[in-house]
Amino acid sequence: MIGDLYQSSLRYGASYEEWSEDGASPRPHWAHTIDWLRSVGADELGRRWTRAERRIRENGITYNIYGDPLGANRPWRIDIVPMLIPAAEWRFIESGVIQRATLLSRLLQDLYGPQDLVREGRFPAALLYGNTAFLRPLVGVKVPEHSYLHMLAVDLARSPDGKWWVLADRTQAPSGSGYALENRTIVSDLLPELFRTSNVMRLAPFFRAQRDALTSLSKRENPRVVLLTPGPHNETYFEHSYLAKYLGFALVEGADLTVRDRCVFLKTVDGLERVDVILRRVDDNFCDPLELRGDSLLGVSGLVDAIAAGNVQVANALGSGLIETAAIMPFLPGLARHLLGEELKLPSVATWWCGQESAREWVLANLERVVVKPAFPTLGMEPVFGSQLPDAERKAFIARLQAQPHRYVAQEQVALSTAPVWESGVLNSRSVVLRTYALNTGNGWAVIPGGLVRVAEASGSVVSMQRGGHSKDAWVLADDPGRVDTFSMLRSRDEPVLLRRIPRGVPSRVADNAFWLGRYVERSENIARILRSMVPHVRSAQEADLPSLLRLHGCLRSRHSKLPKRNRRPLTFVALENELLSMLSDPERPDSLPSTLAEVARIGGSIRERLSADMMLLIGQLRSAMQPEATMQLLDYQGALTACLALLSAFSGLERENINRGAGWLFMSIGRRLERAIYITRQLREITTPLAAEDWSFLERLLEVADSSMTYRSRYYTTLQPMPVLDVLLADETNPRSLDFQLEHLVELYEKLPRREEVELESMREALATLRGMDLQALIYPKMAAPATSGVAEGGGAAKRPTRTRASHALTGLHRYLGTLENLLLSWSNHLSSRYFSHARTQPVTIGSDL
Amino acid sequence: MLYKISHRTTYLYKYPVSVGDHVACLRPRSFPGNHLLHSELHISPTPRVFSERVDYFGNTLSFFTVQESHEELVVEAKSQIESTGRKPRSQRDSMPWEDSARSLAEDRSTDALEAYQYQFESPRIRLRADFADYARASFLPERPMREALLDLTARIHADFRFDSKVTTVSTTMEEVFNKRRGVCQDFAHVQIACLRSLNIAARYVSGYLRTYPPPGRPRLIGADASHAWVSAYSRELGWLDVDPTNNVAPTDGHVTLAWGRDYSDVSPLRGLILGGGGHTLQVAVDMEPVEATSEFAGHSIEEPVKQ
Repeated sequence: MIGDLYQSSLRYGASYEEWSEDGASPRPHWAHTIDWLRSVGADELGRRWTRAERRIRENGITYNIYGDPLGANRPWRIDIVPMLIPAAEWRFIESGVIQRATLLSRLLQDLYGPQDLVREGRFPAALLYGNTAFLRPLVGVKVPEHSYLHMLAVDLARSPDGKWWVLADRTQAPSGSGYALENRTIVSDLLPELFRTSNVMRLAPFFRAQRDALTSLSKRENPRVVLLTPGPHNETYFEHSYLAKYLGFALVEGADLTVRDRCVFLKTVDGLERVDVILRRVDDNFCDPLELRGDSLLGVSGLVDAIAAGNVQVANALGSGLIETAAIMPFLPGLARHLLGEELKLPSVATWWCGQESAREWVLANLERVVVKPAFPTLGMEPVFGSQLPDAERKAFIARLQAQPHRYVAQEQVALSTAPVWESGVLNSRSVVLRTYALNTGNGWAVIPGGLVRVAEASGSVVSMQRGGHSKDAWVLADDPGRVDTFSMLRSRDEPVLLRRIPRGVPSRVADNAFWLGRYVERSENIARILRSMVPHVRSAQEADLPSLLRLHGCLRSRHSKLPKRNRRPLTFVALENELLSMLSDPERPDSLPSTLAEVARIGGSIRERLSADMMLLIGQLRSAMQPEATMQLLDYQGALTACLALLSAFSGLERENINRGAGWLFMSIGRRLERAIYITRQLREITTPLAAEDWSFLERLLEVADSSMTYRSRYYTTLQPMPVLDVLLADETNPRSLDFQLEHLVELYEKLPRREEVELESMREALATLRGMDLQALIYPKMAAPATSGVAEGGGAAKRPTRTRASHALTGLHRYLGTLENLLLSWSNHLSSRYFSHARTQPVTIGSDL
Repeated sequence: MLYKISHRTTYLYKYPVSVGDHVACLRPRSFPGNHLLHSELHISPTPRVFSERVDYFGNTLSFFTVQESHEELVVEAKSQIESTGRKPRSQRDSMPWEDSARSLAEDRSTDALEAYQYQFESPRIRLRADFADYARASFLPERPMREALLDLTARIHADFRFDSKVTTVSTTMEEVFNKRRGVCQDFAHVQIACLRSLNIAARYVSGYLRTYPPPGRPRLIGADASHAWVSAYSRELGWLDVDPTNNVAPTDGHVTLAWGRDYSDVSPLRGLILGGGGHTLQVAVDMEPVEATSEFAGHSIEEPVKQ
């Protein structure tokens, strides 16, 4: 036995214990796992658990809990001990789930079609008419049969006698299958020995079948499928991006789509691209502000009409939320007999819909035994546990129920089964609910072998991810190793596949985010470099160095600077140190390094389905790289900054070597070049505003920031002088941190963009030509006694020595050029926004409606 | 009475609108007592896409999309309708209202199911105990349905002030009920909520009301407005129309355009636009009787009030 690991506070016998009948010896299908856990021991399990947690954090697997004080993105919580289900038992569950899915699908078809079941009295009319999820505009609209319930999720619980019961059906836009997949990846990785030796049925075939099922909804050749998400604020956004990536579909928000000529199009940087199938994670009511909820910002205006015209398929079909209510459960046995000629295999947990007089009377007489829930989706009603209802509220509650009884449904409270959960070094028993998924392939149903096991918190037996519970992997143990990957309805593997090199158009929203990701990564690097070159000097420098440090700080162009205004008080090192500390550590300050990195993480997270796992990992590490501890002194940051810069270099390495040169990469690179050019321009303007000779240490800082000290030293064996520094940072086209280099690449990148604007391209070329036409050799830096002796090696020799006035005039000209260029750079950024991204941001306005 | 009706809606936008998706509910229904002879819809600029569907309540909805840049949208519905008013199934009024309401829930005939759906809450109608209490002063125990309904209509007419300044399309019915003032749409919503709170099926009717110029003055073209009233279901008599704004049971002076659970199902023209930056709305309704008529057709002796 595993008494050494197992410390349950629960009594055996009160509920079904998954792993053991008597709390001592394991059930046969648990024996191998229990043996293995024991042989591995608590210490090793603890180590692996820590590893799992780190991996979850680094992969950014999150679940958003609305109004969570811990922040919007809560790490996903997972337990490493899988829930085990033997093959024979699974076959029963599977057939029950398939029967239920068939039945519910037929029910939806009738309710959105002829409504015979209502006329024949098999389905109560009040359950239809009183249900806010009944979407009348969809009645009579022809959609493919297998889109009504493309996917159904069923929540299953096991009662103390070992029988499985259905707690709830999710027919709207079932969530969790992506988390199940991620749980499987993590757990099989952490327990490879156990996974390999347990004959666990694989999940991947289910998702391949899902991809094929979605594609088959459209009759068009090579149809485009998108996954419609409410956006990064949604509780399961991580899953949306994870599934989109896994299934190979574009992840889109409502604003990315538009309806033209009764067809749905995706707004991409190449223009509009037709969408054939929408896998939706937006509740159906919110999918079309024109015909459904007018206040929805998540949908696509005209979607219902496009569906009615047969030009787009949506899975699950709009309106499928109608039967998500538990109120239908009492009618399912009768409907199964009528529609399928079969008895319901998996019973629903005892349910009373108060719209029926006899049920209502029973509920009112037995209120303390049930939990009362809203029968229809409405805001503001939490489940009411009859046993916990205070006497004072009881009367009012009963009156409300009796006024509109059809709006209430009561269910028996279930004693959930418990399974072992690894918690702080021991195994505990926790209540579990299994959510499994049935997929309508159009050619029969497929059930995911296993699913998502949700685990109750320590107290109580309410299982809900929204309430902060965690989850487990479910392993269905095949009878023999050959059975783990068999899926009959799969497309044969040797069917020829059409090769395609040209990627599909990148959604405008993705291009927008890629562009800003490039800008913010580069911005982080510039801030980090500037700060790193200042930090060591703030403490050790002479008073005379202060102006040069302040100039460097000026390059940050901080709008939130903590430095006193120049004309008020003399600036001191103390003030500068405080300012640097704020830039390094203040997460509230919008332009601090931690805020900028947080922005990188936010933008990266919103296009995570487009970024590689390595890149997401780096982004996660970047974010934690600059999370200072309270005791840190200024000098302690030096190491953190260097580490941060190393991560940023790794990021740019991935960017250069590991990303396809598609539109996404183009926009990210343009963003990076633009941002770097803006910073260099600012820095150079600090030189072209003539520097006093005593401030020339600024030049050294600047070369350091631009990583160009070596270049400089290898060319000029002299002390630092402004003109050669200008040459290295402005005109040296071989220096990847020079302005010339940035402009040249901007032109190159912009030339590759689809639908580019020639005027803009011309203005970029012109700016580069002007730069290259400048004769730096001819410039004389003010107050310099003699011109530089060792000039620019090439082409400079023949230059006539200009008169002093003309030369300083030329310097002013360069200064002005840089000023104009900075404005140009900003205007190019705006141009890209309005040409490629803006239509992803415009929201239609509702007029004349019933808002 | 035969009418030529023109219903013209104009949106003037501050800035150009690049795309506008719209739904119009401007095709009048045709049924005994409201015979549609002709209907046409003119839209400017000409929409790129136009399609029509009959909605769940039997109204014809026109969907159209203007895909060219425009600063003005004009939608004009022209129709010819012969109205004699809805004839009740019989002149008797014997069934107590409670029996009428109760038995509807158990009847699964097509007519009964069609009526039953108007017994529930809808986007703009909440069922509440205070609405039921207000209605019970008219719906006394065992009182025949029509008698009670007309009494409630008269009470709403008397208790509520017509006031176009206090409400907008977004005013909730609860506010109207508390303030005791509003326009025809609000009156209709209040009465529907009162009826449904007693489990009586009631629907919202949009349409037009004939108006009369002051004696000796010509009829002003385009000065009319769209109107709204209520239809309640009696098991004995079928649908009974009442107009709480004017305290009348509509006959040939009312022309029905559409009906639904409440205003949100039948709003005449709504849409989503890209751009625009603010707009002004003008609605001009003209209802021209084709044959001469001598007196106002209705039960009221008061001047009818339009929206």
